[in-house]
Amino acid sequence: MHVLLIVVPVIFAAACIALPGPRLRLASLVLGCAAHLGVTIWSWSAGFGGKVDLFFGIEPLGHLFVSLMSVLFAATSVYFVGYHRKALLSQRIFLACMLALLASLSAVCLSRHLGVLWVAMETASLTATPLIYFRLSARSLEATWKFLLMNSVGIALALLGVFCIAVAASETEPVLSLVWSDLILRAGELNVVWLRAGFLLALVGFGAKMGLSPLHSWKPDAYGEAPPPVAALLSGGMTLGAFIGILRILQICSAAGLADFAGGWLVVFGLLSIATAAVFVVGNNDYRRIFAYTSVEHMGVMVIGVGLGHGGSYASMLHALHNTLNKGVLFFMAGFFWRLYKSNRVSDVRGALHHHPVAGVLFLGGLCATCGLPPFGMFFSELGIVFAAAQRAQWWVLGLFLLTLCIVFVGVMTAMLPMVFGPPPEKLDSVRGDEERWRSIAMLTPAALLLLAAFVFGAYQPAFLRDALCAAAATLQPPATASLAAVPRGMEVLP
Amino acid sequence: MTAVRAILFVPELALVLAMPPMLMSVIAKTKAWFGGRVGPPWLQPYYDLHKLIQKHAVYSKTTTWVFRAGPIVSLAALLTAATLIPVLSNESLMGFSGDVILLAYLLALGRMFTVLAAMDTGSSFEGMGASREVTFGAMSEPALFLAFVVMAVATKSLQLSEMIGPGLLLEWRIAGPAMILVAGALFVVLLTETCRVPVDDPATHLELTMIHEVMVLDHSGPEFAFITYGIALKFTLLGSILIHAAIPHSQEIGLFGSTLRIAELGVLAVLVGVVESATARLRLNRIPMFLAGATVLSAIAVVLVLMRRTG
Amino acid sequence: MLRSVMDSILILAALLNLAMLATSRMAACIRTFAVQSLLLALLPVAVGFSHDAAPGVHVFAIAAGTMGLKVLLIPWILLRVLRSGEIHREVEPFIGFTASVLLGALIIVASFAFADGMPLPSRAPTDLLVPVAVATLFNGLLILVSRAKAITQVLGYLVVENGVFVFGLLLLDQTPALVELGILLDLFVGVFIMGIVVYHIRREFDHMDTHLLDALRES
Repeated sequence: MHVLLIVVPVIFAAACIALPGPRLRLASLVLGCAAHLGVTIWSWSAGFGGKVDLFFGIEPLGHLFVSLMSVLFAATSVYFVGYHRKALLSQRIFLACMLALLASLSAVCLSRHLGVLWVAMETASLTATPLIYFRLSARSLEATWKFLLMNSVGIALALLGVFCIAVAASETEPVLSLVWSDLILRAGELNVVWLRAGFLLALVGFGAKMGLSPLHSWKPDAYGEAPPPVAALLSGGMTLGAFIGILRILQICSAAGLADFAGGWLVVFGLLSIATAAVFVVGNNDYRRIFAYTSVEHMGVMVIGVGLGHGGSYASMLHALHNTLNKGVLFFMAGFFWRLYKSNRVSDVRGALHHHPVAGVLFLGGLCATCGLPPFGMFFSELGIVFAAAQRAQWWVLGLFLLTLCIVFVGVMTAMLPMVFGPPPEKLDSVRGDEERWRSIAMLTPAALLLLAAFVFGAYQPAFLRDALCAAAATLQPPATASLAAVPRGMEVLP
Repeated sequence: MTAVRAILFVPELALVLAMPPMLMSVIAKTKAWFGGRVGPPWLQPYYDLHKLIQKHAVYSKTTTWVFRAGPIVSLAALLTAATLIPVLSNESLMGFSGDVILLAYLLALGRMFTVLAAMDTGSSFEGMGASREVTFGAMSEPALFLAFVVMAVATKSLQLSEMIGPGLLLEWRIAGPAMILVAGALFVVLLTETCRVPVDDPATHLELTMIHEVMVLDHSGPEFAFITYGIALKFTLLGSILIHAAIPHSQEIGLFGSTLRIAELGVLAVLVGVVESATARLRLNRIPMFLAGATVLSAIAVVLVLMRRTG
Repeated sequence: MLRSVMDSILILAALLNLAMLATSRMAACIRTFAVQSLLLALLPVAVGFSHDAAPGVHVFAIAAGTMGLKVLLIPWILLRVLRSGEIHREVEPFIGFTASVLLGALIIVASFAFADGMPLPSRAPTDLLVPVAVATLFNGLLILVSRAKAITQVLGYLVVENGVFVFGLLLLDQTPALVELGILLDLFVGVFIMGIVVYHIRREFDHMDTHLLDALRES
């Protein structure tokens, strides 16, 4: 039944193309995302975990990620109804691509075969391309080109990495399967040299897609120029897809006894990403580009978490959850601010709290969540990584991690707090008319819900969520140590 | 023993030394055929040499002994090289282990004196030609020597007559692609060193576009005959290296092999004529790329052969 | 015999990388790519016959797919984009032609050294597969970073893909045809979209130079 998660959005995407009116197509988008969410919820309650076929199947990690994406897409579809005004790109193509993106990302999460994972990932980046080109302007064209080229080259390297792993497996078995669960089972027989090469190539390749430094340069451009709901989908959804690509290969490596090798590289890339974000956030005057750099930072945090292992893996999963919620809030608010102030520049946006109190509060909440202030969840995930680093006595990692996070924190807050407080600039249109009011509600409600979720899951973690995160983190441990009890070690302070 | 060998070599060497103008004639006839002309008589190069020998040389007042020594030393260097390179049989007259190095220095010596003689005239045209000659020579040498490396590795010998001898037959069987690359590189070297199209045009009349011809503008009489003969001899020698590498004959082929070699040299001359007729001269700034290409071919051949040895 | 043929094809393919680096005309560059792809399209069949068992159908499917897409369709798209009103058809390199050829040759030599250091765990159809794959990959990256035009960057990406394709031949029997065809399809759609984007870039900026795409930067 898990195939429904892929088929349902495809059906609605086809409907988007077939349906005549723009309203009907928007309805199809919302219904498609809602149906996907419905199937996801059903999958949790029914628990169809055991059933697998050749290419697709549900297991804890993919299930967690596909659920996160599903929530984000559902929220975004509602937001988009309020955001959407005049169709620049053909609305038909745009909405169909959005749903196709959902389908291909679901396929990434559910795929059991590394080749299928790759094909789905490439499809995801291809369907995302028209979304970025939404405005049809020179700037968005430039962003689209950079996105397309960087991602295509990155994904080609990732394919080479997958091939290297296949070569590593060809030693013992003449006819191999690239099903990763089989590879994990036979991890001891894999050729270590080729496995290392495969891991590094996949890390660079999927890392480019995820936006890890030094191949992150497309990210600020794409997130800055794409319409904000699309930026939300890319930063909260597609990055998870790329992350799962890295994680699958990490699973194989750690099963083959290469956990330290792989972990070391992950930590290096992660620290580099956070440092890059720290450098570029400070003094930046475009709030969407700042959000893009915080996305680079958060990807770095997630990667460091899994690189450290044990408690770090759990923290990383927690961070993935909150990253999705948080990026949704931030970019939704960015789009709303763009409607209010007609500018992307930090210096043009002033006094949001005064001008539109609800938006101001939501934005402030989103900022606090991004910077990891308690009680938002990112505080606990970052704390978990600090604990994991301390536990493994990696003091350098710990120090650099804290230092760069602090710089990002200062950079974001100094830039953004004046946007919220202070007097608003004069001559601003306030929200008037029924349609505007209705649109504001459609745009702010999803943001509010996501922020609420981020707040609640930070302050109190329900049992089902904790179990899901633990189960996902457990799959990242080498088989010998993978027990549920071992995972949250050192995390006793967490709720 | 050496004396007997030397005597046996006399007819062969005589043939080798008599052949070069004929090969030039073959090229000229090929080009004429492509142009729909009859072309000069077959023996025209010999008539030209005869005519030049009978003339007196004229020397500019600004020149020194270097100018007079140039043609003589270059021809002497080439004649010495002729004793090291197998042309018609699989053996050379004075071959010894390591003679490729001597060959390298002989070719360089000849080039150096041609260049010095050109610079000695003090003419700006000749200086320009000398500069080009040295530049392109420096670029084609790596290709030639990397090709030698391939053959040295393949035959485990440093004696030229063995390097391009029957030992290569095996190499062609196990590392054919590498040998094709070597043959390609040697062909480019041949075209460059003997000033043929597409690197240089021996028939051009414009000093600005010349490379080799412009360097020898001031030579006359017997010395110009030496130069003309020398370039033809160089073609024969480098061509022999190429065809020996490309078509190794087995040891027991005997006298028939010599006839075959003459035919092969003729075919090579026709091939060069075809190239000259079919292609245009390269722009001067594209020539380094052409030569770099030849070097690259040789370099890849080296890698391939080494890989075969280690793997 | 078959091995010799395979080796020759691979070396020729590696040399065509250098030809692409050396060419100054974009149309010629694209045609060279088509020739390289044609050579590579023959390889699955050769590899298929080099095994003891008769080659399966999917070997021919892959060869035909590569032939149709990389030899005919993609060069046709690129040439069409090129022809659609573009005046400057020179390649415009950041790194000079001779320098890039020498760099490319260096890459080829380095790839052989690299392949020497990474022995394959299983028997390969020929030893040249890995070095040629790596060399093609990095030459593609070189084309990608050293050329100014958007369309040559697409070409660089395609050469990178060709490198990955050569590497994939190691696993010819083992990967399902479905996955291979999925890869090809993605490649095609990718290039199709790139073609559209290049067309838009040309229309928007009146040229295809990507170094003028620099409006987006940190303020």
